[in-house]
Amino acid sequence: MRYDFGYFEEDHLKKVTEAHLWQRILGYVRPFWWEVAGALFLSLIITGAGLGLPALLREAVDNYIVNQGLTIPARLAGVTRLAGLFLALLGLEFVANFLQVVLLEWTGQRVMHRMRQQLFSHMLGLNLSFYNRNPVGKLVTRLTNDIQNMHEMFTSVIVTLFNDFIRLTGILAILFWMNWRLALCMCLLVPAILANTLWFSTLARNAFRRIRTGLARINSFLQEALSGVSLIQLFNREPYSRERFKALNRAYLDDTLYQIKVFGIFMPVVEILAMGATALIIWYGGNEIMQGAMTIGVLVAFLAYMRLFFQPLRELSQKYSIVQSAMASAERIFQLLDTHESLPVAREPQLPAKDGGMVVFQNVTFGYAPGQPVLHDLSFTVQPGETLAIVGATGSGKSTIINLLERLYDPDSGGITVGNADLRQLDPAWLRRHVGLVMQDVFIVPDTLRANILLDRLDIDDAKLTTIVDRAQLTALVRQLPEGWHTRLGEGGMELSAGQKQLLAFARVLARDPAILVLDEATSNVDTETEILIERAIDTALANRTSIVIAHRLSTIRRAHRILVMTEGCIVEQGTHDSLMAAAGLYYHLQSLQVRECGPS
Amino acid sequence: MAAIGINRETIRKAWSAVGVVRPVFRQHRWRLLAGFLALAGVNSLQLIIPRIIRQTVDNLQQGIATQAGLLHFALLVLLISLGIGVCRFGWRYLILGFSRILEVDLRNALFAHLLTLDRPYFQKKPPGELMALASNDLSAVQMACGMGLIAFSDALFMSMATLGFMAYIHPGLTLLTVLPMPLLAGLTSYLSARIHHRFKKVQEQFSRLTEFSRDTLSSIRLVKVYTQEQDRTERFNTLGQSYVRDNLRLALVQGTLFPVSGMVANVSMLLVLYFGGRLTIRGAITIGDFAAFISYLFMLTWPIMALGWVANLFQLGVTSLHRIKTVLDAAPKLIEPAAPLPLPAVSQGFALRHLTFGYAPSLPPALKDLSLTIGPGVLGVVGRTGSGKSTLCQLLARLYPVPEASLFLEEQDINRLPLAGVRSQIAYLPQEVLVFSDTVAANIAMGKPDASPAEIETAARAAAIHGEILAMPQGYQTRIGEKGATLSGGQRQRLALARTLLLNRPILILDDGLSAVDTQTEHAIIANLRPYLAQKICIIVSHRLQALADADRLVVLAEGRVVEDGTHVELLANGGLYATIHAHQGMQEGCQ
Ligand SMILES: Nc1ncnc2c1ncn2[C@@H]1O[C@H](COP(=O)(O)OP(=O)(O)OP(=O)(O)O)[C@@H](O)[C@H]1O
Ligand SMILES: Nc1ncnc2c1ncn2[C@@H]1O[C@H](COP(=O)(O)OP(=O)(O)OP(=O)(O)O)[C@@H](O)[C@H]1O
Ligand SMILES: [Mg+2]
Repeated sequence: MRYDFGYFEEDHLKKVTEAHLWQRILGYVRPFWWEVAGALFLSLIITGAGLGLPALLREAVDNYIVNQGLTIPARLAGVTRLAGLFLALLGLEFVANFLQVVLLEWTGQRVMHRMRQQLFSHMLGLNLSFYNRNPVGKLVTRLTNDIQNMHEMFTSVIVTLFNDFIRLTGILAILFWMNWRLALCMCLLVPAILANTLWFSTLARNAFRRIRTGLARINSFLQEALSGVSLIQLFNREPYSRERFKALNRAYLDDTLYQIKVFGIFMPVVEILAMGATALIIWYGGNEIMQGAMTIGVLVAFLAYMRLFFQPLRELSQKYSIVQSAMASAERIFQLLDTHESLPVAREPQLPAKDGGMVVFQNVTFGYAPGQPVLHDLSFTVQPGETLAIVGATGSGKSTIINLLERLYDPDSGGITVGNADLRQLDPAWLRRHVGLVMQDVFIVPDTLRANILLDRLDIDDAKLTTIVDRAQLTALVRQLPEGWHTRLGEGGMELSAGQKQLLAFARVLARDPAILVLDEATSNVDTETEILIERAIDTALANRTSIVIAHRLSTIRRAHRILVMTEGCIVEQGTHDSLMAAAGLYYHLQSLQVRECGPS
Repeated sequence: MAAIGINRETIRKAWSAVGVVRPVFRQHRWRLLAGFLALAGVNSLQLIIPRIIRQTVDNLQQGIATQAGLLHFALLVLLISLGIGVCRFGWRYLILGFSRILEVDLRNALFAHLLTLDRPYFQKKPPGELMALASNDLSAVQMACGMGLIAFSDALFMSMATLGFMAYIHPGLTLLTVLPMPLLAGLTSYLSARIHHRFKKVQEQFSRLTEFSRDTLSSIRLVKVYTQEQDRTERFNTLGQSYVRDNLRLALVQGTLFPVSGMVANVSMLLVLYFGGRLTIRGAITIGDFAAFISYLFMLTWPIMALGWVANLFQLGVTSLHRIKTVLDAAPKLIEPAAPLPLPAVSQGFALRHLTFGYAPSLPPALKDLSLTIGPGVLGVVGRTGSGKSTLCQLLARLYPVPEASLFLEEQDINRLPLAGVRSQIAYLPQEVLVFSDTVAANIAMGKPDASPAEIETAARAAAIHGEILAMPQGYQTRIGEKGATLSGGQRQRLALARTLLLNRPILILDDGLSAVDTQTEHAIIANLRPYLAQKICIIVSHRLQALADADRLVVLAEGRVVEDGTHVELLANGGLYATIHAHQGMQEGCQ
C-alpha cells in the first residue's frame, strides 16, 4: 500500500508581517490585561528575590565572615541576621513563583479556550467544498496542536522572557556596580553566546521540523494501516507494509540522531563559554584582588552570578523555537479564521410559506470544481404530497441534486425554491429540519443505539422511540441485543450489518418527522421484504409528505408518482411509469434489462 | 514518597516487562558501556573545578597567589571544560542515540505483531487506543531508557562524589547541609507522581477533545444535514472547559514542584551560610573551603532532585512497557497452524459442516449450525438484512476464527492450512468499501503494486469505470479525497471491484458489491464478468436478483441458517422467501 495520506505538507502560507500577527494575538489577550500585568509584577518580585540571595551571601562573606575588624559575637550576630533575611526572601520568592505559575496558566487557558471555541464554530459554518479540499487530520491539528503551541508560548515564554530580560539586566547592573572592569570583560562573551544560540536555533528548528514530519508520517501510516488491517491481510500485503513502516522509522531514526548531534555540540559549547567566564574571573579577578582593587567576596559573588547569568542564555534558543512555532501556528489559525467559505445566510431569513411541500429547481447549473459542471440547466418541480423518483446511471448527478436541496452547496446559476421561498432566503437550520434526508452513507456516532437514533431529539420518550424502532424494522435487532438500545455502537462497540445501518438512518428521519422526505439510495443494502415493510411504515408515519426517492432497484421506484431519468447531469425523460414505458426510451431500456431476470433463465 | 506498593508481584511483572527490551540492551552493550564511561568522565572532570576555585580563593586569601599561578588555574579550567565538552557529546550521542534505536525497534516489532492480529482483537482495541500506545507509551519507555538512565547514573555518581568531597572538607557541616536533601528527593518524587497523575488526566482530556473534533469534522455531512452545529459546539465547549480545569489542577501541583525544590535547595544554602559562616569565623574552615562548599552544594541540588524525578520516570517506563508487552503477547484467535499442511490446488472449493459462529458470547450466534458446500461455479446468496450473509463471507475470507472441523477447503480443515496461503487464493470485496486518499491507479493496484498500467486498465474496464476515470482531471493519476469523498457512491464501489478483480485469484467473493450501481451498469459489469467467472469458485451476495442471474445455484439465509438451496427454477417453484422477493422485484409488465 502506498499511503502517506493523512499527512500533508503545510501549504505555502501568505506572507503576513509579524507585527500584524502580534497585534491579533494581543487582541485575544487584551480582555485579560489585569492578569498579565499581575504576572509581570510577580516577575519583578521573583527576579528581585533571586538576585538578592547571592547578594546576601556576598554581604555575609565580606562584612562578617572574613571581616577581622569586628568582634566575633558581632560577626556571628551579623551572620544570623543575614540568614534570617535570606529565609524571608526565600519565602517571598516561593509564594510569588507559585502565584505566577497558576495565574499564567489560568489566563492562558482561558484565552486559548476562547480561541478554540471560536475556531470550532467557525469551522462548522464552512461549506462542504472546504471540507472536500481540506483533510480532517489537518483541521483537527488546527484545533488541538496549533492552539496548544500558542498556549505554550503564552505560559512558558512571554512572561519568562520578560523574567529573563529583567534578570539579565539586573545581573549585569549588579556586576557593573561591583566591578565594572571585570563585568566589561565578561560582556565580551555575550556576543559569542548569542551567535552560538542563533546558529543553533536554526539547526535545531530544522531538525525538529523533520522529526515532527517524520513522526506525523509514521502516525498517519499507522492510523491508516490499523483501520485497514483486514485489507492488508486479505491482499497479503504484510511484508510490504512492514518494510514501508521500517523505512519510515529508519528515516525518523536518522533525523533524531542528527538532532542529538546538534544538541550534543550546542550544549558543550555553551558550557565551554561559561567555563571561559569562570576562567576569566579567576584570572582577571584574581589579579585585581592581588592589586587590592577587589574583595574576595566580590569574586565569590561573581562566580555565583555567573551561573545565574548563563542559565537563561542556555534556554534562550529553546524559547526562541517555541515562539517561532507558535507564530507559525497563529498564522495558520488566523488564515483559517479568515476563510469565509460559508454559504451566505440571509440577514433576515424569510419565514417559509405554510405549505412548504413544493420543491422547484429552475435552470440549475452546478459543478464541484469551476468549469466542470455536474448538473446542466436542470429544471423540475415536485408538487406538495407528490413522490418523485430519480433514476439514472451512477455518477449522473443524483446525489448532487440532493446536496443542493439540502443547501450543502449553492448552484452556480439558477435557483431552488422550497415552499415558494428561495433557499438562499431561508434559515439553513430550518431548511434542514424541514427536509429529512436518508443519506447514501450512514455515519455512526460512537454512542448507544438510542443516541444514534435520537441525535438531538432528546425530547422523544421511550414509548415513541419504541414505535420508531418498530417502524424502522429494528425491533428484532434490538430485542436480540443484550443491552437493547443501550448497546454501544461504533469504535470498540458492536457493528451493525450494512442493511441494519440503513434502517438506523430511517429511524433517524422518523424521529425528526420532516415535511419533505428525501431518500438517497436509502435501501440499497436492504432486502426487498424489509424494504416493503419500511415503505409501508413510512407511508403511515409520514403520509402525504412530498418525497424524493433515488434508487437503482426499479422495484423501489415503482411507487413514485413521477419519474425523472438522468444522464450526465441532464434530465432526459420524465413522466409516469406508464408514459415512460410507452415512450420506449432510456427508461424502457432500463426496465427491459430487469425484465430479463424474470424470464426463466 | 510516592506510594509504590512494592511487593513480589509488581517486581515480577516489572521484570517480565523489562524482558521485552533486554535483547536490545544486550545487542548494544558496548555502545552503552562507552556512553557510561563518557558520562563518568564528565562527572569526574566537573568535580575538579570547585577544587581549583577553592585553591585560587585560598591562595588569594593567604596572599600567596601569583600572576602565573592565576593564569595557570584559568587555563586549567578551560582545558577541563574542553574535556567535559567532548565527553558530554560522547554520552549524548551514545546513550540518547541508543534510546532512539530502542524506540524504533520496539515500534517496528509492535507493528509487525499488530499485522498478525485478527478482527476480534481490533474490535476490542480500537485504533485510537493502539495509536496512543504507539506514541505515548513508546515515548515513556524511550524517556526512561534515555534521559532516565542518564539522570539516574549521573545523579548517583555526582551525589556520592560531591558528598565525599564535602565530607572531606567538614563532615559535620556536610551532615547538616544534606539534612534537607532526602526531603528534597522525597518531595520531588511525590510531586512528580502527582504531576504525572494529573498530567495523564490532561492528556486524556486532550485526546477526548481531539477525538471529538475528528469525529465531528469527519461526519460534517451528518452534522449539517441533522443541524447538529449548536449541539456539537456546546459539547465541544464542555469538553474544552474540563480541559481548562484539568490543566489548572495540573498547574497547581506543577507550580509547587519547582519553587518547593528550589526552596529546599536554598534552605541548604541557608544552613551553609549560617553554620558554615560561623565555622569560618571561628577559623574551623578556611574561606576557600566555604566557597567550595557552596559550589558543591549547587552541584548537589540537581542530582538529588533528579533522583526523585527519575524514580517516577522509571515507574512510568515500566508501566508503559508492560502495556506494550500485553499487546506483543496478545495471541490472535485466528492463528497459523503449528504444522500447516501443504496448500492444495483449489478445485473443489469449500465445505461447511455444522458451522456455528457468534461475534461475542453475549450476542446470539450470527451463523447457526450451517452446512453448505461451495463448489466451482457461481453461488448466489440472498437473505434478509442481518441474516448472516456478510458474516459467512468474512469467515470464508479467513477474517474471523472458525471452530475446528467446521470449515473445509479442498476437504482439509481450514484451521490446518496456512493462513496467508488460503487468503492468497481468495479475492474478497467487502460490503463496505474502503478507498484510500491516494491516486486512482494506486487504489486499484493495492493488491498488486507491480501491476502494469494495462492490467489496471483491464480491471477498470471490467468494473465499468474506465470511462469515468478517464474523465477525471488527471485520469488514473487523479488523487481521491479522504475516504473517497469526491467520488459518487457507485464510483467508489466499482473502484473497489476493480481492485478485487485485478487480483485474479481462484476464489471470488462479492459481498453486495453492486448495490450502489444502476441497473444498466450492473448489467454491463455482469456481462464483463461472465467469461472471467467461468473457471472460478464464486460467491455473490446480493439483494438484487438481477445480479444473480448467472448463478448456478442459490441459497437463502435466514437467521444464520440455510433455509432454501437450489437453482433459480427450483427456488421459484419452492414458493419460499426467494419466490416472494422475486415476485416483488419482478412486478413489471414484462414478467406478467
Ligand atoms: N465532492 C465532490 N467533489 C468533486 N466531484 C464530486 C464530488 N461529489 C461527486 N462528484 C462527482 O460528481 C459526479 C456526480 O456525482 P453524484 O454523487 O451526484 O452521482 P450519483 O448520480 O449520485 O451517483 P451514484 O449513483 O453512484 O451515487 C460524479 O462524477 C462524481 O465523481
Ligand atoms: N462485528 C460485529 N459484532 C457484533 N455483531 C455483529 C458484527 N457484525 C455483524 N453483527 C451482527 O451479526 C448479524 C449478521 O450480520 P451480517 O453482517 O452477516 O448480516 P448480513 O446478512 O450481511 O446483512 P445485510 O444484508 O444488512 O448486509 C447482525 O445481526 C449483525 O448485527
Ligand atoms: Mg452484509
